[in-house]
Amino acid sequence: MHELRPWLKLISLRRGRLIVGALLLLATLLSGISLLALSGWFLTETALVGLLLAAGAQAYINLYVPGGGIRFFAVSRTVSRYLERIYNHNTVLQLLTDIRVALFDRMAVAGQRERGGKTGAQWLSRLTADVDALDTLYLRVIAPTALAAVVSLILVVATWIVFSGTVALFLLSLLTLAIYVASRRVYLQTQAMSGQLSDQYEALRGDVIEHLEGYAELSAAGRTGKHAGRLMRQARAISRTQARVDSHAGWHQSVSHLLVNLAVVLALWSGAELFHQGQLTGPLMVLLPVALLGLIEVYSTLPDAFAKLGATVAAAGRLNEEISPNPDHNNRQLAGPDSMAGNALVVRDISVGYSGHAPIFSHYSLTVAQGERLGIVGASGAGKSTLADAIAGLISSQSGTITTLPCAYLTQRTVIFEDTVKANLLMGNSSATDGDLWRILELVELAERFAREADGLDTWLGSAGNRLSGGEARRLVLARVLLTPAALVVLDEPFTGVDKQTRERITPQLNHWLEGRAVICLGHGPEALLPSGHTLHLT
Amino acid sequence: MTVLAGALAGLATIAQMALLAWLVHQIVIAGQPASELVLGFVLLILALLVRAAGQGLQSHSAARCSEQVRRDARRQLHRHWRDSGPVTLADASAGALSREWLDHVEALHGYFARFIPQMSLAVIIPIAILAFVFWLDWLAAIFLLLSAPLIPLFMALVGMGAEKVNQQHFETISRLSGQFLDKVRGLTTLQLFGQTRSASETLHQRSDQYRVITMKTLKIAFLSSAVLEFFASVAIAVIAIYIGFGLLGYISYGPSANLTLFSGLLILLLAPEFFQPLRILSQHYHDRASALGAGAEILTRLNQPINAAAEPQTPEGVQPCNMIALSGVTLSYQSANPVLSDIDLSIQRHQAVALTGPSGGGKSSLLHLLAGFIQPNQGEISVLGYPPGKQPFGWLGQRGFWVQGTWADNLRLTCPDASDIAIESALRQVGLGSVLESRAQGIHSQIGEDGQGLSGGQARRLSLARIFLANYDLILLDEPTAGLDATSEILVLEALHKLAESGKTLIFSTHHHALLALADRTLIINNGEIRDA
Repeated sequence: MHELRPWLKLISLRRGRLIVGALLLLATLLSGISLLALSGWFLTETALVGLLLAAGAQAYINLYVPGGGIRFFAVSRTVSRYLERIYNHNTVLQLLTDIRVALFDRMAVAGQRERGGKTGAQWLSRLTADVDALDTLYLRVIAPTALAAVVSLILVVATWIVFSGTVALFLLSLLTLAIYVASRRVYLQTQAMSGQLSDQYEALRGDVIEHLEGYAELSAAGRTGKHAGRLMRQARAISRTQARVDSHAGWHQSVSHLLVNLAVVLALWSGAELFHQGQLTGPLMVLLPVALLGLIEVYSTLPDAFAKLGATVAAAGRLNEEISPNPDHNNRQLAGPDSMAGNALVVRDISVGYSGHAPIFSHYSLTVAQGERLGIVGASGAGKSTLADAIAGLISSQSGTITTLPCAYLTQRTVIFEDTVKANLLMGNSSATDGDLWRILELVELAERFAREADGLDTWLGSAGNRLSGGEARRLVLARVLLTPAALVVLDEPFTGVDKQTRERITPQLNHWLEGRAVICLGHGPEALLPSGHTLHLT
Repeated sequence: MTVLAGALAGLATIAQMALLAWLVHQIVIAGQPASELVLGFVLLILALLVRAAGQGLQSHSAARCSEQVRRDARRQLHRHWRDSGPVTLADASAGALSREWLDHVEALHGYFARFIPQMSLAVIIPIAILAFVFWLDWLAAIFLLLSAPLIPLFMALVGMGAEKVNQQHFETISRLSGQFLDKVRGLTTLQLFGQTRSASETLHQRSDQYRVITMKTLKIAFLSSAVLEFFASVAIAVIAIYIGFGLLGYISYGPSANLTLFSGLLILLLAPEFFQPLRILSQHYHDRASALGAGAEILTRLNQPINAAAEPQTPEGVQPCNMIALSGVTLSYQSANPVLSDIDLSIQRHQAVALTGPSGGGKSSLLHLLAGFIQPNQGEISVLGYPPGKQPFGWLGQRGFWVQGTWADNLRLTCPDASDIAIESALRQVGLGSVLESRAQGIHSQIGEDGQGLSGGQARRLSLARIFLANYDLILLDEPTAGLDATSEILVLEALHKLAESGKTLIFSTHHHALLALADRTLIINNGEIRDA
């Protein structure tokens, strides 16, 4: 359960709201129980007085206090229930926003650790399903359990006062057992299944996304049916497990109800004894069993909530993994142009690699002057992209230092956001005007392409820029980097997918645009680079 | 079954309350000691046991009831995906599609497991209680009856509003999920441009919008339960006061003169049980609303027009031949200019054909047509005698495709029966041999073992290895060397060379000199027209 701790801390930041919500809940529960109990008391009282009156005896009964009480509780139950629900659900949704944003921020800080094609699917599921799972925590688990305990205690104390200590003790043990069955026992029984379930569910989601991403290849091979069949079987196994969890919760609920009902029987039996001995009046004897009947409502939501707790704990565990601080230390410094002695980048003796693996390169040094053009050529795996990542600060070096002017970096991967052309470009420079955007699109020869579209700059780019060809997408992200007014520009394979003619037309304009800035251009061969002052070969 | 068990529990509840009231009456009015009433207490405990068993059985059978429905829905979505083809599918984000397949279908469960059985119970149990109360005291029964018919009315009114808002809510979630996937995929880019802050703000805003919309749903949804709560509370209050006055003998008309503590208390105890099934129903109302919302999303997807115009070819006409033929093929997307116009083309089997021309000229579209991923607006295509896509073929897109698992798993995706030796040799053909040697378990080691996954070049070579393994006649490749590092490029070229040598029909789009040199024939595609170079 320790997995939940950081999230409980985050939740408790809204302590005021939580307490008000809990009090509203308590008011609702007590109103409901009081309504029934008072009515039971009132009926018994009137029955007894009625008998006396019928027998011709003198009897007095105060009708106003219980009558008023009954009406009051009838209204207060309705009102407090409605208020409680709205208030508490609003709290829960606020908590969800808090959690989402906190999570995204921490992931953003966590940096480069999560890379590779599969992270999209996993992160998506975490940000939605796992965060959603945490909503069960306060409203479904913490508040109802606490309130069930409080209300039960109130009834036990009342029993102690009105009935006797022995009856109260019996009652206490029955109710404790009922709470245990409805909460902890359900949790213990379903925790493993429930936790596994969310893992299986997420694994299946990953598989479905993979299925969709590989759809072209799979359908070419005529294998979509078989692959889909596998997904169907997984889904079926999940619904089986889910059904087992649900029926566990159902049986536990019925047992805890049975225990509360047995407490009613106990209260009635001992009440009958006490009444017979004349230690208790009839109306008071009725009060307790009827109040206990009202307790069933309090207990009934617990089993379902605790059946889901296993999944919540598992979700919290995964989220914790995600945001645990990155052990890498950062020895990259951003500097102003004055302190760099005419250089744009100074790399001194760095070693870079992924933790637990041999460094990809070690003791590497490099100096780039302001306005210099440097080409870096190397085979696959030589570490070009890793070097570029280190310069841009996406990964930190294990040793050595990097001092650099602010830099703009075109990554090897082409990333286009599901948004308009304009929004995609403005990321590079949020103060750019439409004129600037058209100019830069002109430079990469995309202006005509979007001028043809009805929406112009507001043309929506579909999933991963689907409607753009590979070369067009590459030129668009190149344009985005060019818009960034940085004194150092790092371009990793800038012309991926761009045909030779277009590349040859763009290159001189690009050179002109970048004049006065230091440019590091990385590629698998000299032809993939901008014309540069000198070229390094990375081996 | 679910309803039966629920009804059993309901009847046991009535028996429980009757016994309780009878016992109270015997103790308080008749003055019997508890020891004389052992039989009553035993019967009471028996009723409790039956009630618990009924309750348990009800949830037990509800848990299993919607499996079939969910399976059918998933099957239909699969069928739709298949009919749409990969190109159309790629228009929707994988996140949104997978959410439909998983979460939306799962949302149907609550409706079938909880809402529908509870709907029957909400009729059966109140009627049973009403009949019983009527027998005890018809005036009290009329109080209950008066409050009851209003409830469905209110709930219907309230439900209609909730439904609409709920649908909107589902759309929001689906969009949000797409946005998340998108942002997360581009997290590195966001970091580079220093935009994580503003992305996080957008997220905050969207979450908040989502909260506001959801609160709207909830305010309405809770109103329905508040209405119920109100009627239940008022009915209890009215009945308590009516019975109290009746017992005192203040009410001189109707059946109230016959009220005893037994009947009075019983009516009081049954009053909340009368409303309980309806209250549970209203708690499950959101199950219905989310199921309808989810169902609507699924139906919208299923009803989406499929670009693939009805399969034009009839199976009788199929006769294997050695020719890929296009006649009068025209293809255009939404915009006015056709991508391909009135193309006549034939390609011989065993040839390697390069498609070249400016970006956006229609090379990819032609490959998609040959693959059967999209259908032409006009004209006919025959691939070696079959309609496009009817026979398995090799496809290499610009994004390599791999799944979480071992190298062998990945190759068996398309060739499940391949032997380990064949898999290893296919991987060697594309130059992945050295990677395998560095792993202890060879082809049975996990792909993402080093925490980095595959580079673009490696992923594409992996896809190419699948093609080697499967031994297809026709292989379509979309810019097979674009964006590759020098090593991968050489390896891919070598691999393609081997494929061409072995007599496969290769059709690929490219600008690459070495690839153009490999081709037996080069076609230039520009402005919707195709000509030989």
